Amino acid sequence: MSATDTPEPRVGGRIVRPYTMTGGRSGTDTPVIALEALVAATPEGMRRRHQFKWESAEIVQRSRRETAVIELAALLEVPVGVIRVLAGDLRAQGAVTITDPPPELGADAERQVYTDLLHKVLDGIKSL
Amino acid sequence: MASSPSEQTGLTPVKIVVAGGFGVGKTTFVGAISEIEPLRSEAIITEASAGIDDLFDDGTKTETTVAMDFGRISLKHQLVLYLFGTPGQDRFHFMWNELARGAIGAVVLVDTRRIEAGFAAIDFFEKRDTPFVVAINTFHGRKLHTIDEVRNALQIGPQIPIVYCDARVRVDVQRVLVTLVEHALNLATTGAAVN
Repeated sequence: MSATDTPEPRVGGRIVRPYTMTGGRSGTDTPVIALEALVAATPEGMRRRHQFKWESAEIVQRSRRETAVIELAALLEVPVGVIRVLAGDLRAQGAVTITDPPPELGADAERQVYTDLLHKVLDGIKSL
Repeated sequence: MASSPSEQTGLTPVKIVVAGGFGVGKTTFVGAISEIEPLRSEAIITEASAGIDDLFDDGTKTETTVAMDFGRISLKHQLVLYLFGTPGQDRFHFMWNELARGAIGAVVLVDTRRIEAGFAAIDFFEKRDTPFVVAINTFHGRKLHTIDEVRNALQIGPQIPIVYCDARVRVDVQRVLVTLVEHALNLATTGAAVN
């Protein structure tokens, strides 16, 4: 894209109160799914997608290609928390898989595994 | 697109945070290198749970919407890099924890005309031991201050890289990201960084 002017991020409107879609759940009762965690539809999920309510069906459809939680929130124009709840439900039903980001260094990552990852990221950015 | 119902390609998501004061050019920086138009997502925060308005807690909770801008870059090696712009307003600093969790590192973008706007971000990443570099947004190529002047003003040590960049220019942004990942790698290799 052109980098000559300040891009104006797309801001969506919505007409349904967001947590109506999740039955009032905000997702605070479940382990937090990272903003950049990748959601991917399973074949099972694709087959059954028409059985889901609109937002969930849309999550399955959009995650035919692996798509981050935060991206789904922007594309569906709902808050991140809504996607977390719905994607967590879909995962429990086997309709999607969720790939978490690698753990931070010092959490449970081996140093060598982590530096290998950084080498790949570095090579990837240099190759752009 | 694959013809199969689901395309699970085994990608690994990674993240870099772009921080700095309001209007310093964070979204421009992200947009200069992102393969998608920067998107804006919203998180709804219950302020009482964020500990902001304890003094005024009358049993009701106020919901506040925090906006985060982000971009995406597909990399070799089955990686997908997300760039997150932090919310600009000071009162949303508690969101930074969520953004910094699992991040490779952070770019603190500064405008030398309002250098103090970078203090909060630097304090945060130093305390959290998140690898970070400082990028001076030159706005039309004007280098108003030397690197040493900026280092002094920000009170950061010589081990933290400081670079100039024009946040609108893709190769500049790419170079800043390379500097950051090299710095993170250096810290990880020497064992200096323990998040």
